[in-house]
Order: sequence, then structure tokens, then C-alpha cells
Amino acid sequence: MSEPVYQVLVVEDDPHLAAGVVENLRAEGFRVDTVSDGRRAVEWFDTHHCDLIVLDVMLPGLDGFAVCRTLRERGTKTPVLFLTALGEATDRIRGLEAGGDDYLAKPFHLQEFLLRVRAILRRWEWYRASARTAGSDVLKFAGNEVDFRAFRGRSWNGEEQELTEKEAMILKVLAEKPGEIVSREDLLEKVWGYDVFPSTRTVDNFILKLRKRFERDPANPVHFLTVWGVGYRFIPEPAP
Amino acid sequence: MKRTRLFQITVLLLVVVAAVQVGYWLYDQHVRGVEKTAALTRLYDQQAAAARALLDGGAPLQRVQETFPDLAVNAQKVELAPEHRAALLAEQQHRLTQYQWEGGFFLFALCACIGVIFAALRAETRVLNEQEQFLALVSHQFKTPLASLQLSVETMNLRQLPPERSRALLERMLSDLTRMETMVGQILDSSRLSHGRWDLKREPVLLDATVNRVVSQYLERAQTDHIAIESQVPADLRVLADPIAVDVVVRNILENALAAVAPVGGGTVTLAARAQGEEVELAVRDSGIGFRPDDQPQLFRKFSRLNAGAGSSYYGTGLGLYIVQRLMQLTGGRVSASSEGLGRGAEFRLTWPMAGTQAESHA
Repeated sequence: MSEPVYQVLVVEDDPHLAAGVVENLRAEGFRVDTVSDGRRAVEWFDTHHCDLIVLDVMLPGLDGFAVCRTLRERGTKTPVLFLTALGEATDRIRGLEAGGDDYLAKPFHLQEFLLRVRAILRRWEWYRASARTAGSDVLKFAGNEVDFRAFRGRSWNGEEQELTEKEAMILKVLAEKPGEIVSREDLLEKVWGYDVFPSTRTVDNFILKLRKRFERDPANPVHFLTVWGVGYRFIPEPAP
Repeated sequence: MKRTRLFQITVLLLVVVAAVQVGYWLYDQHVRGVEKTAALTRLYDQQAAAARALLDGGAPLQRVQETFPDLAVNAQKVELAPEHRAALLAEQQHRLTQYQWEGGFFLFALCACIGVIFAALRAETRVLNEQEQFLALVSHQFKTPLASLQLSVETMNLRQLPPERSRALLERMLSDLTRMETMVGQILDSSRLSHGRWDLKREPVLLDATVNRVVSQYLERAQTDHIAIESQVPADLRVLADPIAVDVVVRNILENALAAVAPVGGGTVTLAARAQGEEVELAVRDSGIGFRPDDQPQLFRKFSRLNAGAGSSYYGTGLGLYIVQRLMQLTGGRVSASSEGLGRGAEFRLTWPMAGTQAESHA
């Protein structure tokens, strides 16, 4: 079976850099479109879709963080790789909080860029493939229900839950190994990939969000258990 | 820097404490003055009561008056002598006035000190913030061409490219290097202007020689980008300005025009000068990407880059037009810009005072 041809959107206002990125992605077999300002990037999604967005931050019109936030608010789950001259830890966190999947500071190494692009697509391919598998697209536990394909769920009290792609992916990783310990590093690797975050604490924050959504008493969780110093254990149906 | 700041803050606190102390002293003196007058009044009341008791006991009027010289004693009433009462009130008023003026002056001087120190601290904070912002922006501006350069080098290293692709990448790399070189020049110029370290002269400058020299330096680049540069500057026009400033201004305006025309695939840039009364105007018209009339006020702001989406960031640092405006202001000239809108080109007009017909002129 031949490898799928991925569609990538490059949003970059510098014509030289955009041309360099586009040429290299095409040489790697991707279909590539390019847009040079933030507003047009958002408009592009009215009529198109893609598998990955390579997004500059300091863009005219609408900055990259705002583009990412707007797309997420509109329900676009397409993964985003930020490519920007703002390389401070706070900028990286801002990008990831805005809904980005990875962050690469300029100037960057071409091979690292290509590796990261492939890693993001691989993670998404894993998520989509596992969500497509019959029986694993919906997770039901203790009155909670999560549809991994729609990124939606319903908690034990009947409340509708709209999951972010990261929350869904974390839940997916945990649900694949019910009752087993999953380390923070494993979660990082599987959901974000290597060195995106300054610390593994970020995973903890996402677990807190999942507890708020699906635990009856988030302060005393019974489904998303912390294994101190190691990671987390997901217990779908805890023993009474 | 930190020690100086700490010292300034310490002095500010000391002056604030001193001002509070002076304020308290003023209040205290006022209260004491009033209390002292009240105490004296009570004393005189006691004396009056004693004098009245003596009179009631049958003591002679004259003897009672001699015993209490500050009182006015007569058969009907005993009270503080009006001249003493007036002196007492005058003394109190004098002291209060003295404290008000002297204390008020000290308080004013101290408040002025607080104001000056506070303003200095605020100004320093603003300068520090501006410097930080400037550095952040400069580093950002450099990282983009640097990233493009690195990408081109690594592409050539990673892939087997046909000769024409390699040549195109080399041209892109050279262009990125030119971009960075321009940035270095503009950043240095901007820094000199911001810190007032540009010793500007005012002397006659032959405009056509400057324009022709600058244009000749950009002809090759213009040819590569399919841009025709036309110069219509009369040979005898002299402006009164700094020769280096005129060179920098014309260079930046031409740079801006080329950057505006390149993204639309080529076009024309026309430089036309004419005398207008006591002034000389150089109009630089391009057929490039233009700008929205609403964006006009932002054009000359530091680090402002309009229409970057259409590609004007190709060579732009956001400093060129800022430098132009500052230099024109400092040399007694002015600059204005107009455009009919996006995609409809732009015109920049530089105006200098006309120089007299001095024999000596500089180009």
C-alpha cells in the first residue's frame, strides 16, 4: 500500500523562507499550499482542508497564535507546527496553549524540520487509525462516553464535553493500556513528541482537565490515577 | 545599572520621608501655636477671675490694676487688655504665617525633588524597555533571513539539484546576505539617530549627483527584479542639507520602492526633482504594491512593515522609512507619502530647503 500524500499549508510572510520550506516539502512528496498573512490563512480553511499547518507567528493581519486559536475555536483539529523567530520558553508555551502541536525556532535545521513534520503526521495517523478501528472509536467508562473521531464526549452527569485534540489523544493513549502505568515521558512522546515542552508538568495539567471533565470527585480521582514519580494509570471501572 | 537604580530609589524614599516629616512638622507647629494661645487665654481668664475676686473682696481698683497689669480693670468688668489680646493674636498669626511659608517652601522643594527623581526613574525604565524591545525586534528581523540562508545551504547539502536550481538558490542566498547587510546599516543609522549621535551639517548638496550615484548602485538588483529606474533630476538643483543624510535618505527611499515593486514581478521606479519656490522636491514614484490610505500614519513608525503579506518584507526591516523621516526632520526637510491603494503604487515626496547659488557644493 502506497504512503498517503499529505496536504500541508505553509503560512509564512517571508517569500524566501516560504519558498525554501515549500520546495523542501514538495521534494519530500507533500502537496503544499502557501499563504502569506494571518487572515488569509483563516479564510483558506473556508474552502480547503489540509493535514498539517506550518505557521509563522509574526504575521501581518493576524498573528500566528491568533490564527491557531481562531481555527481551534472553529473546530479545526489540523495539527499546527509553529515556525518562528520567537524562541523563548514563554513563547513556546503560548504557542502550545493556543493549540499548537510543535514549535520550531528560526533559524532551524532542515532535517529536524522534516523529522518534526513527519513525527506530527505519524502521531495523527496513529490517532486517526486507532479511532477508525471498530470498537475503539468510542470509549465508555463509568457513565462517561468519549467519541474519539468527533472529539466529543458526555460525562457521568450528562454534561456534553468538547475535547481538545490533545485531551483526546492523551485519553486515547491511556485507554489503550487500561490499568497499566503510562509514564509522563510516554505520553509526551506519543502526543507531542520529544522536546516540545520545557517540563513534563504540562502533561499533569492536561490530566487535571480530564479529571474535571470525567471524574465525579476530581479531588479524589478513581479513573485517572497518579503514580507518583512515574506517570498515570487509567482505571475504566474501579472496583467498588 | 542596578546599583544606580537602587541608589535613585533610596534617595527617592529618603526625600519622601523628609517630605512627610516636614508636613507633620507643619501640622504640629500649627496645633502647638493654637494650643499656646489657648493656654495663655486660659491663664488670663484665671487672672481676671482672681482680679474680680479681689475687687469683690473690697480691694482698691488701682491696686488690683497694678497687680494684674495685663488686664483692663474697671468697676464693671475685668478682662484682658485689648492691646494685649491684639498682641497675642498677632503673635499667633505671625508664627503660623512663618511656618506656612517656610514649611510650605520646604515641602514644595521636596515635592519637586520627588517629581524629578520619579520622572527620571520612569524615563530610565522606558529607555530600558525600549532597548529590550529594540533588541528583541532586531534579533527577530535577523532570524528570518538567517533561517532562509540556512535553509538554502542545507537544501543544497541535502539534495542533488540541477544546476539551474542551484543557481537560483545561490541567488536567494546572496539576496538574503544583502538583506542582512542592509539591516545592519539601517540598525546602525537608526541607533545613531535615536541617540542623537549624528553630527548633521547644513550645506549645499547637488541633488542629481547624489541621486545618480545611489541609482547606479541599485541598477543590477533592479535588473534582476525586472524594475526600470528612471531619474529626472535637473543638473543644477542644490538642496541645503547634510550630504550624508541626503545619500542615506535617497538610498532608503529607493530601497523601499524596489521592495514594493519586486513582489509584483517588476515595474518602474521614477525619481523626479523640481524647484518649488524656496524648496526642492524629489518625488519617488513606484508601480509596486502600494498601501491603504488608512495605513499612511504607520508608514514612518519604527519597525512598521505594511503589506508584508504581499511581499514587502522581502528586503524590509521596518527601519528604512523611520530613518528617512528622522533625517528629514533633523535637516530641516520633510517627507510625505501617498498611494491610491493596494496594488496601485506609491509616491514619496522629499522636500528640502533650496540652497543658494554658493560656488561650493557637495555631492
